[in-house]
Amino acid sequence: MFLKKSPWIIHYDGSSCNGCDIEVLACLTPLFDVERFGIINTGNPKHADIFLITGSVNEQNKEIIQNIYCQMPDPKVVVAIGICACSGGIFAECYNVLGGVAKVIPVDVFVPGCAARPESIIDGVVKGLAVLEEKGKKFKNMKKGLATLSIDPAQIQDSAEILALQKAAYQSEAELYNDFSLSPLNQSLEEIKADFKSKIFLKAVLNKVIVGSVRAYQEKETCHIGRLIVHPLYQNWGIGTKLLYAIEARFPNAVRYESFTGHKSKRTLYFGRKRGYRECRREKVSLKRERVFFEKTREGKAR
Amino acid sequence: MHLFDVRGNFHFCLMKTLYLFILYLIGAPLVGAWLAGWDRRLSARLQSRVGPPILQPVYDVLKLTQKENMVVRRSQNFYIAYYLIFVIFTGALFFTGQDMLLIIFSLMLASVFFVLAGFKASSPYSFIGAQRELVQIMAYEPAVIFAAIGMYMVTGTFEVSKLAQTNHWLILSLPGIFFAYLFILAMKLRKSPFDISTSHHGHQEVVKGITTEFSGKALAMIEVAHWYETTFILGIVYLFFAKSVVAGLSAALAAYVFMVFVDNAFARVKWPLALASSWIVAFLCGAGNMIWLFFTRH
Repeated sequence: MFLKKSPWIIHYDGSSCNGCDIEVLACLTPLFDVERFGIINTGNPKHADIFLITGSVNEQNKEIIQNIYCQMPDPKVVVAIGICACSGGIFAECYNVLGGVAKVIPVDVFVPGCAARPESIIDGVVKGLAVLEEKGKKFKNMKKGLATLSIDPAQIQDSAEILALQKAAYQSEAELYNDFSLSPLNQSLEEIKADFKSKIFLKAVLNKVIVGSVRAYQEKETCHIGRLIVHPLYQNWGIGTKLLYAIEARFPNAVRYESFTGHKSKRTLYFGRKRGYRECRREKVSLKRERVFFEKTREGKAR
Repeated sequence: MHLFDVRGNFHFCLMKTLYLFILYLIGAPLVGAWLAGWDRRLSARLQSRVGPPILQPVYDVLKLTQKENMVVRRSQNFYIAYYLIFVIFTGALFFTGQDMLLIIFSLMLASVFFVLAGFKASSPYSFIGAQRELVQIMAYEPAVIFAAIGMYMVTGTFEVSKLAQTNHWLILSLPGIFFAYLFILAMKLRKSPFDISTSHHGHQEVVKGITTEFSGKALAMIEVAHWYETTFILGIVYLFFAKSVVAGLSAALAAYVFMVFVDNAFARVKWPLALASSWIVAFLCGAGNMIWLFFTRH
């Protein structure tokens, strides 16, 4: 694996006082010279592997941080540098401050300090390399283990893992509509636990990790299928199709199967069409989004 | 053509060309990567840093192949693939000893694919980068063509295989043209002061210029193409000293080291200055050299 031998960095200053920023840049100077480890400070998220953030997150830079994160190609690692980036620090209580970076994107390594010393920043980045390496390896092993994929009913104990997966899977949707207020992204653990009472959950398990999930319930003759999710790294491997057919099989009494997606989600619409679903109606949910419902009747089943 | 020798011994020459081609295909990127590694080490030492391992450019490319390939438009990768193919093709023509003019046109075509890729990605940075790449092509082309014509005036041939075996010290007859070529070398090697289209170091006005929107395998391809290009560009330097192999190789290496020093010593210039200065040098020294040749040789 070469990920750890050439980590390229992008550095973003949230609302730092510049103390941590200067220390980050100090790492590049002759004294610390991180280029020894192949680390380059690129100014471009599309070339970067590690995202260094200094300073707390506020209402104004929230979207910028999410945007930079989304623009980085996988596998990627986020390192929060300085106490402000970790928790909001002394600014945590300010009316415009949301808190640490973890409020808006998943953070892998926290480097506390005010200001964080270059030594500890380098330590944090090196820790990040291990995470990066692990992410890369995990991805490779997952593909090898695809034959052992199992689809089982999920239990209420799985709810936290499914919720985390749901938030990862819906990132691309949020990007598509530039709307991070989507309900799947903001569901709480209690809400998803409550869902377990009224819906059947299925999980796709690969190497003991839940990589996909779907939930459904029946109302009269119609089976409502929702939140068919697959982890972004494991999409296009046929996991979604298996989940869809498995959940349909769970409702043998249903005459109609119905699901919905957003109007811009062309991939989902294509996925549905390929598996025998037809668009039946549209509904406006917000200024940015329109819901497209699609259905399949029992006779029209592909199998 | 090179495929036939004087006795019409087709097979022998074809095999030789094939061997040369395979040697080039494997050797050129290795040489390019090795040079790029030393470039980074040397630059670091000039800034009193330790610098990365010599194999760092190779690690970078191998890492890029493991990354996700994000695109704005899928077709941008298509152009990058053609850029790589035509750069390899250009070098292949050169190292198997074909016609110099054909080589220059092929190089031009490769650059055009690169520019198209930059335009296709349609972000402001890659757009400006692509426009500047066009300016750069315009800036270096006269010097490259003068090099070919100058060599022809001295030896009477455009064929690299014959140029490589010439008895002349081309440098002695073509000092002006060599200087003009050395001047535009910074453009082809993407070094300061003429690194206007890609901006080798981030955090500058065009971020990464034409390569901004490329990631993963596409970026790896650009890097590998650059290795091939470096080897080929230095091959032309070799031709000026081709009478002796040792002199040729040392001259090529010295030219590269010189460019690393230049890279570290100069800030980047704006594109009008890059264009104007390279044309002035090309027409003053290059064309001047040719006029002098014309009058002394007739």
